[in-house]
Amino acid sequence: MAMSIQTRTRAARVGLVIGLLIGAVFAAGPVLWMLSNSFKSNTEIFELPPRLITESFSLDAYIAIFTDPETVRFFINSYVVAFAVTALTLLVAIQAAYALSRFDFRGKRVLNVIIVSVQAVPPITLLIPYFGLMVGLGLYNTYAALILTYMVFTLPYAIIMMTGYFNTLPKELDEAVRVDGAGSMTALWRVLVPISVPGIVSVGIYTFMIAWNEYLFALTLTRTIDMRTVPIGIQLLMGQHSYEWNQIMAMSVLGSIPVLILFLFFQRYFISGLTAGSVKS
Amino acid sequence: MTRAGQGHSKALKIAGAAIAAGSLMLVTGCSGGSSDGATGDAGGDVTIEFAQWWEPELPDGEFRALIDKFEAENPGITVELVSGPYASTKEQLFAGAASGTMPDVVGLDGAWVNDFASQGVIANLTDLMADAGYDDSQLASQIQVDGGTYMIPVVNFVYPMFTNDDLLAEAGVTTPPTNRTEFADAAQKVTALGGDVSGWVLPLSLEAPNGVQNDVMSWVWASGGSMLNDGQPDLTNADVTSAVDYIQGLWDDGVIAAGSFTMKEQDKVEEFTNGRVGMMIDSLAHINLIRETNPDLNFSISAIPAEDGYDGERGIPYASWGIGVAENSEHKDAAFKLVSFLMSEDVNSELSTMANAFPGNTQSVPDFVNDDELFKTAFDIYQASYPANEFTGLPVAEELMRLFGEQLQAALDGQQSVDEALQKAQDAWVAEF
Amino acid sequence: MSLKTPVLDTEVIVTGVPQSKRRRQLRRTAESYAFLSPTMILLFVLMIIPIVMVIGYSLQDGAIIGKDHEFVGLDNYMAVLTNPSFWNATSNTVIFTVTSVVAHLIIGLGFAMMLNSTLIGAVPRAIFRGLYVLPWLFTVAVIAVLWRMLLAPNGVINFLLNTNIEWLASPQLALGTVTFINIWAGYPFFMVSLLAGLQGIPSDLYEAASIDGAGPVQRFWNVTVPQLRPIIVSLVLLDLIWTSQQFALIWMTTGGGPINVTEVLSTFTYKLAFAKYDFSQAATSAVLVLLMSMVLAVFYVRHQKARD
Repeated sequence: MAMSIQTRTRAARVGLVIGLLIGAVFAAGPVLWMLSNSFKSNTEIFELPPRLITESFSLDAYIAIFTDPETVRFFINSYVVAFAVTALTLLVAIQAAYALSRFDFRGKRVLNVIIVSVQAVPPITLLIPYFGLMVGLGLYNTYAALILTYMVFTLPYAIIMMTGYFNTLPKELDEAVRVDGAGSMTALWRVLVPISVPGIVSVGIYTFMIAWNEYLFALTLTRTIDMRTVPIGIQLLMGQHSYEWNQIMAMSVLGSIPVLILFLFFQRYFISGLTAGSVKS
Repeated sequence: MTRAGQGHSKALKIAGAAIAAGSLMLVTGCSGGSSDGATGDAGGDVTIEFAQWWEPELPDGEFRALIDKFEAENPGITVELVSGPYASTKEQLFAGAASGTMPDVVGLDGAWVNDFASQGVIANLTDLMADAGYDDSQLASQIQVDGGTYMIPVVNFVYPMFTNDDLLAEAGVTTPPTNRTEFADAAQKVTALGGDVSGWVLPLSLEAPNGVQNDVMSWVWASGGSMLNDGQPDLTNADVTSAVDYIQGLWDDGVIAAGSFTMKEQDKVEEFTNGRVGMMIDSLAHINLIRETNPDLNFSISAIPAEDGYDGERGIPYASWGIGVAENSEHKDAAFKLVSFLMSEDVNSELSTMANAFPGNTQSVPDFVNDDELFKTAFDIYQASYPANEFTGLPVAEELMRLFGEQLQAALDGQQSVDEALQKAQDAWVAEF
Repeated sequence: MSLKTPVLDTEVIVTGVPQSKRRRQLRRTAESYAFLSPTMILLFVLMIIPIVMVIGYSLQDGAIIGKDHEFVGLDNYMAVLTNPSFWNATSNTVIFTVTSVVAHLIIGLGFAMMLNSTLIGAVPRAIFRGLYVLPWLFTVAVIAVLWRMLLAPNGVINFLLNTNIEWLASPQLALGTVTFINIWAGYPFFMVSLLAGLQGIPSDLYEAASIDGAGPVQRFWNVTVPQLRPIIVSLVLLDLIWTSQQFALIWMTTGGGPINVTEVLSTFTYKLAFAKYDFSQAATSAVLVLLMSMVLAVFYVRHQKARD
């Protein structure tokens, strides 16, 4: 009996590794191509047959990006906006999700429908009235405009996801704390939040990413070159008459690194032993 | 809760609070540049904004240097350059107009003029010219709507035919074709070389449908034909029908490169530059690009082939970088000064040289014309032809191109005949007029 | 609060004073709204107002750009709803969206489970996690440009497969291709969220199931899926709404073509707004999309209520 379990496990492991490798080619193959193009000269990017590494392997595209103060500013702006949005959205969403998950009150269903539906309006039609509103509020070309805008885009997602995560946690948890005389805030921040860390982290990462990668509203709400963000910087390389292909690829690679680092850094919260089994029984 | 859990939650709380507090400070404290529109300071100093997509496409710093020259000649006027990606320019201008934040001077494409003008977004330049006492005789062209000028083409990018001489020679064609029969013949010979080589390339992407203008209608105009009759659509006439039939013929012969229906201009250039296409109709702006990308490529410029036996003046398609003034600009006079500066003989020559384009000022001559064989040929063709772009100044010009493109794609795909396609396109166009 | 299980009356226990049910409910409501107030203020000021404006545009003629705005009631709606392009766009959108979401779920869940497995070590798992999340990191314009390059008739994919297929330019294949690109770009959303969710499943549930003799497949369907259900429902709802809004990816790869096979509601609306300059009809199309999504939203909320 023991032998067959071992063989089964080994077979399962082999199957798993094969599956993982196929998945890796699917997921990372195109990105690898992008990376290889960022080191080529523009000529070689479209040649046939395509090659991964070419003679003119160079860092020129990257150097061009790093030495341009405007481009560096794009990255700084993106960082500032994305971090602020993430922190603020999480704060607001956790509170809202708590109420939606734990309480029952009049208008709850309507509010829920509204929160879900606000993101269902095609942004291209929303653009002009929204822009007019921002100008009217005096927020044109400010960090505040971008931060508030992205908060509004990410709140529905964050609230829905956090409500979902909170819903997987039994209500007896907070009741237990309340018996000791604690209020709702304590129940939320002392009990629910620490257990929901994986959920919070995944919501936070995605929020950061939405703020980091958004283009249309960033372009419309900023005017001066010192307020623009990375996606705008990438599109500026796509001119009417020529594309700077290797720079586009290089800037995309550079643009993806912050989110990747964030993900790699925080991913230990995905594999924590913090939550599994400790609470539910 | 475990000790570790408590420690974690505390750390998270502190981190969260710090970030939140910091970001709140940023939100309230930070803004960039000047956040309102053109300002007028005391003492008569004026700041105007110029929105364009030109600066990123020109050599670093040269456009700004040109503008600095303007500021030096006009103390009291400061010009702020607002550069944005070309693909988004139209929406941005629109959003700006709708919210009253439109910059004073705007770079325009001829396809937008009619719509912007009829919506009162851009100012009537004829009036401004009259106010400033401007002599417009040196302007090569003015784009007009209802008798008033709304856009002045600053520089023109003409679209002659490019031929890959090596490929043609290999296929046994010694000179670039001059009429349609020769062209079809050359295309077939090149395609017969096999591999991934094609005779011609036709970008028909519906996202940026200027392939209809540059690669399809150009055949009509090259033979002196027209797609309009008295300013109204006339797509079923003999000129257009013969051109589209011809293209259908080329398609059926299999001489057109694959991927047409979603191909954009950049893709076309890449295919040509990599030696996979024998002939293409393309913008002069790409001459240097092709040279830099593939120095070994031997190519030449010639006029777009006309119908066999046609010996009249040929039309050559062009696209411009146009300029206009915003209707709700508070500094129209300063704005127009910038316009006239850019259109002045020397500045226009300089700008044309920078952009590898032909000047919008009849007296200007860009440097490259004298220095460069290919450009000289192109300039000669330009001067021997008449600039032809019937789409400029039409209402919803880009949409017209798209409507035509959809029908053409259906025809090429075999879903309908050329006549049906042209009739449907005609009906669609009439509905927009 | 379920009426089925007896609820500890904590307030009575703590303060010793029985409050009237009414008052307690009011306090609960007030508390709820306090928690929700930042959200509500933000959404109301920044979203509701523009949305109301858009609805207003849909009831006018010549919104934004026209010199005179006339109230025309439902005329725009009649115009849009009788436009065959609208229905073509709707059907393409439904195909595109549903296929994408289903594929996202399957791939995302599959990858999440693979990455959660203990059959391989923590370090290889971390490496694969990093690789699998890559499609997520790029802005849509870049993904569009990248895949156009890869799928060009003379591009890498055709080279590797030794074919000459026009993936994006063929009227038969374009919609499928664009859907594939969207699947690639979007599965990490499910994967990461489900990974987080998988962490929350107590291992004793799996042990209990094993003891009962459940094999891996049965454990999956009887433990994993039910535990993940709330998260899956949220993910599917969000992805349905987001994918139906997807604009840039399709616009930049095919522009709604060839002919009109990849025309979706977002490109249809965009063309109305910025190619035909008919903001009234564009707003109308937007409101119709909103209404369709609200149906989904109502179902979702009903489902949440039923759970309570």
